[in-house]
Amino acid sequence: MSILSIENIYKNYGSVQALKGVSFNVPKGSVFGILGPNGSGKTTMLGIIMDILKPTSGTYKLLGEVPSEIHRRQIGTFLETPNFYHYLSAERNLHIAAAIKGRGSEDIPRVLEMVNLTHRKKSRFSTFSLGMKQRLAIASCLLGNPSVLILDEPTNGLDPVGIAEIRALIKKLQLEGTTIIMASHLLDEVEKVCTHVAILKKGELVATGGVNEILANEDIVEIGAANLSALQLSVEQFSGYTSMKLEDNLIQLFYPIGTINLEGINRHFFNEGIVLNHLQLKRKSLESKFMELTN
Amino acid sequence: MITLLKVEWLKIKNYTAFIILSSFFAIGVVTVNYIIFIVNKNIISQSQAVILTGKFSPFQFDKTWQTTSYASGWLLLLPALMLIILITNEFTFRTHRQNILDGWSRQQFIHVKIMMAVLMAFFSAILVFFTALAFGFSSGTSFSTHGISHVFFFFLKALSYNMIALLIGVLIRRTGFAIGVFFIYMGVENFISQLLDVLSVRLRSSNNLDLGSMGDYLPMNSADGMLTFPENPLKALTKGVMPTDYPWLVVSLCIAYMAVFYWLTVNRMAKTDL
Repeated sequence: MSILSIENIYKNYGSVQALKGVSFNVPKGSVFGILGPNGSGKTTMLGIIMDILKPTSGTYKLLGEVPSEIHRRQIGTFLETPNFYHYLSAERNLHIAAAIKGRGSEDIPRVLEMVNLTHRKKSRFSTFSLGMKQRLAIASCLLGNPSVLILDEPTNGLDPVGIAEIRALIKKLQLEGTTIIMASHLLDEVEKVCTHVAILKKGELVATGGVNEILANEDIVEIGAANLSALQLSVEQFSGYTSMKLEDNLIQLFYPIGTINLEGINRHFFNEGIVLNHLQLKRKSLESKFMELTN
Repeated sequence: MITLLKVEWLKIKNYTAFIILSSFFAIGVVTVNYIIFIVNKNIISQSQAVILTGKFSPFQFDKTWQTTSYASGWLLLLPALMLIILITNEFTFRTHRQNILDGWSRQQFIHVKIMMAVLMAFFSAILVFFTALAFGFSSGTSFSTHGISHVFFFFLKALSYNMIALLIGVLIRRTGFAIGVFFIYMGVENFISQLLDVLSVRLRSSNNLDLGSMGDYLPMNSADGMLTFPENPLKALTKGVMPTDYPWLVVSLCIAYMAVFYWLTVNRMAKTDL
């Protein structure tokens, strides 16, 4: 079942097309990463879903229905920057968020504790560091245990410990059944926490699906030898791989998934008189896949 | 709406600018009327014209409603500025977006602001009512509700100013710039109003065409035109605060303008990207 389904969304800002017919589905219980370089349309997409921006055309459904404020109250959303009343304390800001969501304030101590802000609950928002503001925004999202979280760059401004805590929190929430939609350009972050991704490039969807599906359409073998030019010549005589790439004095050979025979590769070069000093099977990183798709 | 207003109250009850401007307004209403009271008591009531034509007190019952409403009307800039600050703060700190993300509809967001404008006008009118009552009793005359409609006109004027402020806030979104535009608009409208008034006089004298004071048919001037200083023996000394020619036309126009401002504000909020 899809928590969110997006159908052919277009968004124009004057003559600039920010989104060009984007469609995808977010499965229930997934951690869905929306990836893309700056300006690819990630935040625009989330803004449209949450009625902050109006789409030029296209439709979308939240929880299987045409979205309204009633649906938004069931979702915890943090978009772009933490937006709170600067003259009010953390606690009062959460009171306002809880009241808008139609919930009581009994949940506020729990969410403040979850993001380690209990000791600063009486402090004005304007006195917070960027990391604390970010954590308060996440606390606000968690009010009332929403079944869906929408997070835009959730680890922005956090220190390494804060980043690790947020990642752990996201994984914990997913295990509890929360669907998390997360926009990020931090590929490592997405790879570590997401089960599904949609990759945007200049407003177009270039790939979508499970992280493993997207990454696992190729295997890579990295080889190296003392005589790199001899190795390169020998690779050209070799068959079975689909493409090759020279990187950091190592040669990467790309194979269709499941077709690699490491022993055969080693034997081939040995028979050619080349002793490999580096032979490694590499899983394609999301970063390399992303660069491949977006460049 | 009560729930929405409770949230709005949570936002402003500890906001320093709100507390200061509200206090200034409340103190200002009393002070302005007290000054008129003292001036009348010590200077005007001793003047030759009043001695010749009989006793006049602007705060005697049946005049106190009009005097207090008129004098307090000059202070209505304060609630209007407060509304500009409150709405533009939402845009500056992008809390309007967060309110929508948290579960308000755009309609709810803007309607609670409009409701704030109505409530501010209402409480201003209540304050004027009690001020008029207090000065009325201190004039030594017996209680009368005659002329109390001026308190309602004061409410309309307050609401009209608030609606203009809200519209400018929603359109401009930046506090300083919006306040600047508000004052520029006031100046420009007053200038056009003067020109229209001159034209009205010319039409009346040369073409025998009486269209009333056309300057009073503009948005802010229609609100101002509802409230004037009471007729008095020193009228010659207070020219420039003459009553409008067609009061009910001006009242109707004021209400019509408010409806237009309401529509523009709600429409703007409903259709634009936040």
